[in-house]
Amino acid sequence: MTRAARGGLLIAWIAAITLLGYYVQQALTISGDLRLFLPSPQTPTEKLLLEEVGESPASRLLLISLDGATPEVLAEGSQQLAAALRGDPLFGLVSNGAASVDDIPDALLPYRYLLAPTLDHQTFDAAYLRGELSERLQDLSSPAGAALESLVPRDPTLEVLKLAEAWQPAKQPQRQYDVWFDSKGQSAILVAATKAAAFDPDGQEKASDALQKHFRETRGDPHVRMTVSGAGAFSVLMKGRTQAEATLIGTIDSIGLIVLLFIAYRSVLTVVLGALPLASAGIAGLAAVSAVFGSVHGITLAFGFTLIGVAQDYPIHLFSHQHPGKTALQTARVVWPTLAIGVVSTCIAYLAFLRSGVTGLAQLACFTIVGLAVAGVTTRYVLPRVMPEKTRDPGESAWLGRLWSSIARLPRPRWLGAAVVLVCVGILTLGSTPMWQNDLGQLTPIPQPLLDTDARLRQELGAADVRRLLVVEGMTADDVLASLESLQPQLDALVQRRAIESYDYAARYLPSTARQAQRQQALPDAAMLRATISQATAGLPFKANLFEPFISDVAKAKTLPPLTPQALAGTPLELQVGALLLHHGDRWTGLVTMGGVHDVAALDRLANEHTKAMSSRPTTASNGPSPTDAAATLTVLDLKQASEALVARQRTHILWSLAIAAVLLVTTIWVALRSPKRMLRVIAPMALTTLIILATLHGAGVSLNLFHLIALVLAAGLGVDYALFFEAVEDDPAEQRRTLHAVLVCSLSTLLVFAALAVSTLPVLRAIGVTVTLGIVSNFVLALLLTRRAPEASHARP
Amino acid sequence: MLAKLARPAPATTPFVEVRYSKLLDQPIVVKGQLEYHEDGALVRAVNEPFRERTEIKGETVSIERVGKSPRRFSLKRAPQLRSMLAGFGAVLGGTRARLEQDFNLALKGDPAHWQLAMTPKLPSVGKYVRDISIQGRENEPQCVIVTQPDDEASVMLVGKAASASLPQPLTRQGLDRVCAAES
Repeated sequence: MTRAARGGLLIAWIAAITLLGYYVQQALTISGDLRLFLPSPQTPTEKLLLEEVGESPASRLLLISLDGATPEVLAEGSQQLAAALRGDPLFGLVSNGAASVDDIPDALLPYRYLLAPTLDHQTFDAAYLRGELSERLQDLSSPAGAALESLVPRDPTLEVLKLAEAWQPAKQPQRQYDVWFDSKGQSAILVAATKAAAFDPDGQEKASDALQKHFRETRGDPHVRMTVSGAGAFSVLMKGRTQAEATLIGTIDSIGLIVLLFIAYRSVLTVVLGALPLASAGIAGLAAVSAVFGSVHGITLAFGFTLIGVAQDYPIHLFSHQHPGKTALQTARVVWPTLAIGVVSTCIAYLAFLRSGVTGLAQLACFTIVGLAVAGVTTRYVLPRVMPEKTRDPGESAWLGRLWSSIARLPRPRWLGAAVVLVCVGILTLGSTPMWQNDLGQLTPIPQPLLDTDARLRQELGAADVRRLLVVEGMTADDVLASLESLQPQLDALVQRRAIESYDYAARYLPSTARQAQRQQALPDAAMLRATISQATAGLPFKANLFEPFISDVAKAKTLPPLTPQALAGTPLELQVGALLLHHGDRWTGLVTMGGVHDVAALDRLANEHTKAMSSRPTTASNGPSPTDAAATLTVLDLKQASEALVARQRTHILWSLAIAAVLLVTTIWVALRSPKRMLRVIAPMALTTLIILATLHGAGVSLNLFHLIALVLAAGLGVDYALFFEAVEDDPAEQRRTLHAVLVCSLSTLLVFAALAVSTLPVLRAIGVTVTLGIVSNFVLALLLTRRAPEASHARP
Repeated sequence: MLAKLARPAPATTPFVEVRYSKLLDQPIVVKGQLEYHEDGALVRAVNEPFRERTEIKGETVSIERVGKSPRRFSLKRAPQLRSMLAGFGAVLGGTRARLEQDFNLALKGDPAHWQLAMTPKLPSVGKYVRDISIQGRENEPQCVIVTQPDDEASVMLVGKAASASLPQPLTRQGLDRVCAAES
């Protein structure tokens, strides 16, 4: 090919990558929904977890603490910050301890008598009203009471204030200057619910940025410091850390890789060209996933790029085997059969993942298969046509020749395989480390000081436990609210016995229609109330007819249709109730969050008793449904346990997929090499390496997680490639040196990338790094020792 | 003028406060004493017809009522209390700097019979207080009249005026006469 034709093709290739990249950028949405990566739910608990609950409402809470100044300054900061957050659409209910009449939106004002618990234990009789009105007189006489003056005619019992107080958390920290402080009185504490779910890292990041902005704008005193805790804050922090570290390692790797390739081939163009098949693979893989699935999970993306890293080896084999006297195309034809076996066998192996039943894994398989196939095909058909013709020949390298001869003198210990198997199986069976790590949280562990702060704030605020929930299910929202109300005595008893410290549920904000109707019943009618008021105000200096607005509000409340969840839209209660009362299909789910769970067994007993009581209740049709009859079940949901069970089941899926993949891989290589003996020589290093990695990790006390498994697959793919090339090497010394050069560059470059990950501080990156690094070293050494043909046995390849 | 009024702490003076409101037919009358403590705390203690104690110390306000747990909050959260501080400043001293910071001051009359008019500078205070007028003779303040934006007012008789008999019926005109009267 002419220089111009090569240049044209190169430009066309890069243009194709860019265009496809543009399509991907337009078409692909990256999903952060973890459910994409979990198997479809099977047990009722899993259904509840995945389809209805998702996560604890408590995980949306940001716990905020302000310190570094005098309590007065901090209290003012708390008020200002709370006001700013209340005005921000990214946040729902914000509590800082200051109950204010402004907390009640106008739309809910007429409902105050139906929402506040006053009428459950009180009637508007003359004695009660007189007490309240005398208090209002005192308020009016006080210079501090001037603010209440406009409220008195409409709301003489200050019901709005009682409602604002009723919406405060059940267990509250101490107050200073009207706002919450920790028990030492050194920091003001607030709670803000984010609209974004905790597993939505982008939404959490936006909320976190907004919070920082509001803090900067309202802090007043530069000495005031803010500490933010909670699941959302942690996810933002850990995402940032992981990204920062991954970017740093990625940069170091890229520089190292470029230097290494430049030393190996002494040509800038070669280094650039070497990146093109991998770039094509990544973009093509993304385009395929985008076309087939529409969206891709972030984890698929991270894993996918790890797995197709093996494609970086393909151009290296081509470059190392090229030498003067042979065109690049001729070289490609020579290298291709060996390379193709590697590509095809790996792709076939990944087919197993397509049928795993887990969307995320199917995406991963699609991405990897398309990516590797494209990398292989471009290395065979496109890359040789754009490569410069003359290059150095590693086959003439003297030191490679010496290295090869010393390798050739190495023994080929057949017994080594058996010994490795024995030792590894021994370690695996005798080790005491749990084999599997089920706690997803351990993959991105939160630093201990932050956890301590979180625990302290949670304790101070009486904030709900993010792990355990009580779940009530029913056919209508009202059923659920009614059965939540019916649980109140038992829950109060639990708090009394200190089994739990506090609890919260939707009925605290939105009573059932039955309870609202009951309160309506307790409200006097206009004539009666007017009479009571005139009795209560006898001798008090209030103007005649002053309380007509109160009378008309009560009359209105008496005839209002009961408040429903739909009517809360647009109020701060929408989020609060929405997080605790969930609607899914034709079912409603009510959650009870609990603070300070000390006695888990007591919760289980409560659920059992409730279920028993429900099933033993006669449900004859003639009785007609009463609100509590309709209540279905009460379940204790342990989110941690449930998600760990899911992870375990997901792993079973993956292990089966891997087993099928292994069988497919072996079969493909067998068919390709047409000899069981050659197949064994190629498979042995990879199989033994997998065993060695497992035994080493197990021996070092590491429990395996999903990331280890994915990395194992990558290591196996690399092992097969090395072995295939060592197995295929001919007697020609120059060819031997070229193969050695290629495998050395391949393994060194991959080693460089994954060794950097292996020293990462983050367990996710470390899991991948350590596994692959071990795999490369072991595969390389074992391929040399076990796969290399005996010199006398080697002859022309079939 | 203010310097002349200032007393060394501790100082106390009895007061009678008559509070008019558009909600009420009859004004509320409370009696008690104002205290200026050595530590700078200013206290409005009501003894009749109920007991209530309001204390401002630095930027902190606390209110205690019988049968209720005391409330503490920052003065910044309660702009309506600035009028109480201003009244104190004129009557007992101790808040002069703050007085000049929060209000525009204007003095009328002669030393024997003077009137100090104060209008709030801050809009947050202006929401609750239109103006404060303090009347007195020589170095004795007699009345503190806080007028709200809705024209309703509270009239506080202090010092010797606190022991004067209140006019019946308790009209503003009657009270104004008490304020203006020789004592």
